[in-house]
Amino acid sequence: MSGVLGRLLTALGERSCYDAVSQCSRCGYCEQACPTYVASGREPQSPRGRNQLARLLLEGKFEDPLSAREALSTCLLCGACTSVCPAHVPTADIVLEGRRELSGTRSAWLRKALHHLFVRSPDILAILIRAGYALKRSGLSRLAARSGLLRLIGLRALAEADAHVQETPKRLLFEMLREDTSLKEDRAAAWRYFASCGPNFVFPRVGLATIRILKRACGRGSFFDGRCCGLTAYNYGDLDTARALARMNIERLESLRGEAPLIADCSSCAAFLKSYPQLFLREADWRARAERFAARVRDVVEISPSLPKDALREAFALHDCCRARHGQGLSQQPRRALQPACARWRELPESDVCCGGAGLFAFKHPGLSEAILRRKVSDIAASQARAVAVSGTSCLIQLARGLKKYYPECRVVHWSEAVCEALDHEDG
Amino acid sequence: MPVRDVSSLKRLLPGRVFDAEADLLAYSYDAALERARPDAVVIARTAEDVRKAVQWCAESRSPFVARGAGTNLSGGCVPLRGGVVISTARLDRILAADTQRGVAVVEPGVVNLNLQKRLEPAGWFYAPDPASHKICTLGGNLGENAGGPRCLKYGVTTHYVKALEVVMPDGALESFSIEDEGPEILSLLVGSEGTLGIVTKAWLGIVPSPPEIVTVLAAFKSVEEAAACVAAVIAAGVLPRVIEAMDRLSVDAIEAYAPAGYPRAEAILLIELEGEGKSLELQLDEVSSLCRRHGAIECRSARDLAERERLWEGRRSASAALARLAPNVLVEDGVVPRSRLPAAARRVREIAQAHGTPAALLSHAGDGNLHPQIIFDERDREQTSRVKRAGLEMLRSCVELGGSVSGEHGIGVEKRAAMTWLFSDETISLFRRLKAALDPEGLANPDKVLPLPGERAPGETRPKARPPTDAAAALIEAVRQRAKDRRPFSVFGARTKVPEQIAAAGKGSALITRALSKVVEFDREDYVATVEAGISLGELKSKLEPEGFFVPLPMSAGTVGGMLAAKPWPGVREGILGMRVLLADGSVADLGGKVVKNAAGYDVPRLLLGSWGALAVILEVTLRLSPIRPALPSELPKPRPPRFGTWQARLKKAFDPHGLLNPWVGELR
Ligand SMILES: Cc1cc2nc3c(=O)[nH]c(=O)nc-3n(C[C@H](O)[C@H](O)[C@H](O)COP(=O)(O)OP(=O)(O)OC[C@H]3O[C@@H](n4cnc5c(N)ncnc54)[C@H](O)[C@@H]3O)c2cc1C
Ligand code: SF4
Ligand code: SF4
Repeated sequence: MSGVLGRLLTALGERSCYDAVSQCSRCGYCEQACPTYVASGREPQSPRGRNQLARLLLEGKFEDPLSAREALSTCLLCGACTSVCPAHVPTADIVLEGRRELSGTRSAWLRKALHHLFVRSPDILAILIRAGYALKRSGLSRLAARSGLLRLIGLRALAEADAHVQETPKRLLFEMLREDTSLKEDRAAAWRYFASCGPNFVFPRVGLATIRILKRACGRGSFFDGRCCGLTAYNYGDLDTARALARMNIERLESLRGEAPLIADCSSCAAFLKSYPQLFLREADWRARAERFAARVRDVVEISPSLPKDALREAFALHDCCRARHGQGLSQQPRRALQPACARWRELPESDVCCGGAGLFAFKHPGLSEAILRRKVSDIAASQARAVAVSGTSCLIQLARGLKKYYPECRVVHWSEAVCEALDHEDG
Repeated sequence: MPVRDVSSLKRLLPGRVFDAEADLLAYSYDAALERARPDAVVIARTAEDVRKAVQWCAESRSPFVARGAGTNLSGGCVPLRGGVVISTARLDRILAADTQRGVAVVEPGVVNLNLQKRLEPAGWFYAPDPASHKICTLGGNLGENAGGPRCLKYGVTTHYVKALEVVMPDGALESFSIEDEGPEILSLLVGSEGTLGIVTKAWLGIVPSPPEIVTVLAAFKSVEEAAACVAAVIAAGVLPRVIEAMDRLSVDAIEAYAPAGYPRAEAILLIELEGEGKSLELQLDEVSSLCRRHGAIECRSARDLAERERLWEGRRSASAALARLAPNVLVEDGVVPRSRLPAAARRVREIAQAHGTPAALLSHAGDGNLHPQIIFDERDREQTSRVKRAGLEMLRSCVELGGSVSGEHGIGVEKRAAMTWLFSDETISLFRRLKAALDPEGLANPDKVLPLPGERAPGETRPKARPPTDAAAALIEAVRQRAKDRRPFSVFGARTKVPEQIAAAGKGSALITRALSKVVEFDREDYVATVEAGISLGELKSKLEPEGFFVPLPMSAGTVGGMLAAKPWPGVREGILGMRVLLADGSVADLGGKVVKNAAGYDVPRLLLGSWGALAVILEVTLRLSPIRPALPSELPKPRPPRFGTWQARLKKAFDPHGLLNPWVGELR
């Protein structure tokens, strides 16, 4: 039984979900910050609308509760609304709670399958993913997509990635890191690297870049070798799996000596690791442990390596990943090192507006996602940037697709890769 | 209420109509407390969509409600009788931003801030700046006649409307402009809260940005001292772009939440000056020394953007600070003549105390516009009704002090009953006739703005109407006689503008307003004068201007009433605050008031501009005076005779069903 959270950690303190949603006074301040409202012009697809509908669901005022599904499922969970809301109403958390209310026992088997893959046998997950890539390389990728291997195991986001990403890594990141002796667990480690699913399964080069930066900026560190952060399960409404994964990660960090920070290079993942305490509001012991854990988590963009000035000659822009900007409140951090290293820095007009990637979103709501993506790419094109740095896996996939389609002069790179390009310059 | 069958509407507007339960629930509210479900929602993309939807409603007798961003605070978008919510939020194109002619052409769904952003690079701006400017639409601004801090200097939405394209309640697409010859229907539509039609395009005035801005923060030991300082600043002829006031409760809330470094004083003023070089320095010196002379315990100023932003940060975080304390904040919107601000602030405090509902007070002090903010939890019914009662009482005290129940947020449903405090039965029945003239089936946003038949707010509050002067009494009597006998008659001022043959022939029996020549009230403190319509412009100016009170009307031969009725220049509408008018049946209606902004009721005073006396006889007009000489044309064109198309003719019928007043007007063209 996964059920619902019931209580949330909000900016105003711990609240029942009902109290949290009732904090929305319908002022509408959030409406223009919401990409789906701006794209559709429909109140049910706005933060205020979602909060009101969630509230009515909780109050049992719907005759046809399933009619709220579209409103809740079209939320990007980007958190832009919470950033501008006077009361910081946690709309994304409320939406997820609303989805859980609605989903009931739907696709319990799928949840079970997920649970198995992530919690019990992560190795099988890796095997499946590798098999998927093998199929793709062998030219059977369409078949692979159609057979929906990844989708079958609940990883629609990765299925999307598979469809849109050209690279098919032969080796997964964690396999390489496990073999790397310089990353062996060490009590004196200055940092520990958490391999998020994106770098792990799709973009090993990002993880390698991150490790290079960490070594350079912070000295010796180690590979954390934990489990998936649990975000996919959480977003899928599977709280049990999310909690099980969180406990494993917490226990693992506790078992390691020292107080070194735990660094993740997918902002969605980092934000979720930081929000572990919310999973354990009813378990005092675990909550305290989750709080200690969360306090040690850092997004890689919080690291500020020293870079040569103007090393990057290309016109560079930064797209603020939602889970960095709104999920973790990081706005200056990603710019601190990168901006001075760029000779032609382009500040995007709405850099903190979601690109429409958001995990499953692009797959489930192609029309809406496309509209949001077009708005983002046209901002990038207007700035005449030739490279955009991002810090989340979804953004990397979504922008790669969008730029290729609408503005191929520009490429997208992970923040860590951009920083490494600047380091290359220094290293000659 | 039976649910209407909207399937034919869906066929008419494929992909634009939504009627799932979630959609209906999401369009059952706005930023106020009321709720009601529509039967369907239309997300219009074009004016033609709006027209089709309205026409469908007209044919199927379904009520409809226009909606922009749904941020109004009076329940204006709530579909009280079901029907169709027609959203204009997606008519969001800026069609032109023409700095040569000072006009922006926009669709109604354009967000106020987006127009500002578009104008900024060219060094221009759109003046009305509601605090909700990041989210509210220009259509909603037109619906509510929205204002903002800047309107102290720049005026409210109506001052910037040049023309509108509107879908009328029967589905006809019409255009109205301030240049129209004949009654100013345009002005009637502004602030009508979607009860007379739906705007689909607007031509709005835009202005160049000032070269430089300085922000002054001044702290005072009492609200009275701060108010005296505001009065002194205005009297000194300095016209700040903004004067905002905060009371102690607001300051404490702000400092507890997001410390802005405000002094813990009983009252804080933020004053913004604009200009260039020397003249700005002089203004700043003058304001600073006035602040000190009026007991400011602290006074500092900031010039560059970042510093100014820092002074404003606190004020801006006020709503966030309050939102932390409870789920809901009731933002009231009373307005009083500026000189009564301390009295109003006192009353607000007393009422809040009596109801046990603490209210922080933020005001647009220069305009006498108060926004008490009462925090509560709408889930607690008892508390909610107590808060609502307190809010209403605060409004009532504003009316008692000579003000109005809304400065800028409109009446909607929440303040409908309070209209009976403000207007006489005669005036409200005139409003009802106007509504019925344009919307005979009562489909456009029904049950808004006007009290329902028999609905009254508790208590008599309206100050007793001032008895007419002798001359007015005589004129009223003469009209009553003629009305009784159904005898047509003409009204003339000095006959400087009426074509000669008509003046000479004096079709019907002529009544002359020249005897109505008094300055009835001259309020030096508030810069407001009420004058009778028969006074000549020359006489009026010679009475007021030597004392430094300038009249916002150009010089011309003839009477004030004649100038307004013939409207030789569209700008005569600028300084009009209220009117007392005599209707064809001999009844008298008091319209508007003495306050500089007023979003209560239909703007009939401006409707009468250019009506050539065919709708009603202007007995008195209340004008906003200026401490500095306004820019006015020295030469006026010959006024053009009115045109009475369908809508004007319908209004004429509502005012004067038997066609008694100036029957020759229709023949002028
Ligand atoms: C936090 C906050 C601060 C605010 N501050 C201010 C302020 O400083 N000053 C101020 O004046 N107001 C303020 N308001 C109130 C509100 O924002 C204004 O009334 C605004 O003008 C409403 O715009 P909207 O697009 O939300 O209109 P809506 O709320 O959607 O509609 C308002 C009214 O206009 C009608 N309407 C909408 N579109 C059209 C159209 N196309 N044609 C005809 N009628 C139409 C509607 O039927 C309704 O009666 C504030 C509100 C909030 C929540
Ligand atoms: S979520 Fe916040 S900003 Fe949005 S309507 Fe509710 S209270 Fe206002
Ligand atoms: S989380 Fe993003 S998409 Fe969802 S309501 Fe908030 S702003 Fe809109």
